[in-house]
Amino acid sequence: MVLVTPAIAMVTLFVLFPLGFAVYISLTNWPLIGSYHFVGGSNYSALVHDPQFIHSVLFTLLYTAIVTGPIFLVGYAMALLVRAGRFGAVFFRTAFFLPFIVGLATESFMALLELQPDSGAADYVLSHLGLVHANTAWTVSYGLALTAICVFVTWFASGLTMMLLMAGMQGIPAELYEAAEVDGASWWQKEWRVTLPLLRRNIALALIISVIGSFLAFNQFYILTEGGPGTSTQPVVMWIYEEAFVQYHLGYATAGAIALVIVIGIISAAQFYLLRDRDDRRTAR
Amino acid sequence: MTAAPRASYAPPAARGPRPADGPAAPAGRRRDLGRGGFVLYLTGGIIAALVFLLPLAWAVLRSFMPDALVTQAPSAKDFSHLTTANYSGLINTNDILRYAGNSLLVAVGTGLLTAVIATMAGYGFARFRFRGSGVVFALVLVTMMIPFQALLTPLFLELHSLGLTNNLAGLALFYTTFNLPFGVFVMRNTFLQIPWELSEAAAVDGASATRTLVSVLRPLVVPGIATTVLYAFLFSWTEFVGALTFITSNNLYTLPLALLNMEYGSVGQVNFGYLEAGAVIAMIPCVLLYVGLQRFYIRGLVSGVVKG
Repeated sequence: MVLVTPAIAMVTLFVLFPLGFAVYISLTNWPLIGSYHFVGGSNYSALVHDPQFIHSVLFTLLYTAIVTGPIFLVGYAMALLVRAGRFGAVFFRTAFFLPFIVGLATESFMALLELQPDSGAADYVLSHLGLVHANTAWTVSYGLALTAICVFVTWFASGLTMMLLMAGMQGIPAELYEAAEVDGASWWQKEWRVTLPLLRRNIALALIISVIGSFLAFNQFYILTEGGPGTSTQPVVMWIYEEAFVQYHLGYATAGAIALVIVIGIISAAQFYLLRDRDDRRTAR
Repeated sequence: MTAAPRASYAPPAARGPRPADGPAAPAGRRRDLGRGGFVLYLTGGIIAALVFLLPLAWAVLRSFMPDALVTQAPSAKDFSHLTTANYSGLINTNDILRYAGNSLLVAVGTGLLTAVIATMAGYGFARFRFRGSGVVFALVLVTMMIPFQALLTPLFLELHSLGLTNNLAGLALFYTTFNLPFGVFVMRNTFLQIPWELSEAAAVDGASATRTLVSVLRPLVVPGIATTVLYAFLFSWTEFVGALTFITSNNLYTLPLALLNMEYGSVGQVNFGYLEAGAVIAMIPCVLLYVGLQRFYIRGLVSGVVKG
């Protein structure tokens, strides 16, 4: 009991208490300094009518809808490439995963230079391919910024999907493939009938982790566009940050944060439900 | 795919990529890949690897370019004017070593603190059943689902009232807390895998308690601790929004904040050469740690996430 106390204390102090405190703050008009009073649910009703907040929610959903597919498909393809552990697979796996390890903040600073008009590598490569003008400024227009960030994040995050899927693929017993081969199954049939059904749990996990990551997007937008032009590329976490620590509307910002906690909580609960279900069936106690 | 490269590779058996088949590989699905397929696999893999590695390598190269070239379109002369001016400039005028030191301090502190607390708790949860231990463990795991990004306001007010904002120890405490659920989970799994009868048998055989602990536990527990430390370190080293919220005084900046300051804080033009060199400094520890300790990282991914 004594052994687990420090862990429990820290989680209580810095996760559970702040969570309860957040609910309390969200019911007040808390400023950064000075006194506050209760405003009931008015922060929440204001959220629903706040075009800025609604825009950040819709933008986050749009961004998530765009990047989830490419991250999954690229990750899946790379998992297929490395799963059998052929010559070179460890090197490939390391290379594919490295962008994820280095982190989005550091790489956003690198990308900032490469997305500049005239000097960036993006313009250099794409203009030589005849796709864009050499002076395209990627970070200052809504469509271009969103496109660039989606490509950039796919490059960053698909390695994680690869890892999660690879672990699942390697857990599939080789006998199943051998049996399918004896039955004369083609490569496609084996993938479709053996790999995919047995990989469902890992696919669900990879997709959920990817979606949660997209919902919590901040670094790439803050560093590359600062939410701009205007607030057109402002995801929800940046809305919370700006509302709380730039506008000093702590109560209002926290109401938005509670909404985010609820959405993430629902996704996580779905994850536990989906994954536990299959686990129980398999172990069949 | 096109048949041409396949045909040209197949016939001369003398020099194909034969040696490549040598290294140990599971017999399973390798056989169905002919030589053409293997060449295709290798080509695809190398091209994909370049897509992922070249941007990082390019950033390293950029960081060695003089300022005048960094802000110009890439060209052949980029390779002949390499200089360390960006790095020396950063060290002399930007105090980058202080920021790297701050980052290192917080990351090492987070790693060690997480390891100690998670090891204790993991051992406690694995070895002792006390009243409500299942519920408490579930509670710790549930906190893994609460994104810290959504708790920035209450955490800021709380840390502020405790005097822990603008405080590297406070930042490390914050990072430790959000790494604990994963760490406790990994360490509990680690201790659950230990055959305790073995240590009891060793004790009966007359081995001293310390020796038992060391010889039986070390090979099993050390990988678990390494995994926990590695995750906590990398999380702390690369974290951005929490540091942005809780650290505002310039001399306490961690590396990502120092880079942000170069981007927005500077008057006039951003010094991209400095920014690139700073980003490379932030990147290096991640690359070294990952490449060196990859098996621990993957172990954590498999045991902590996939099974969790």
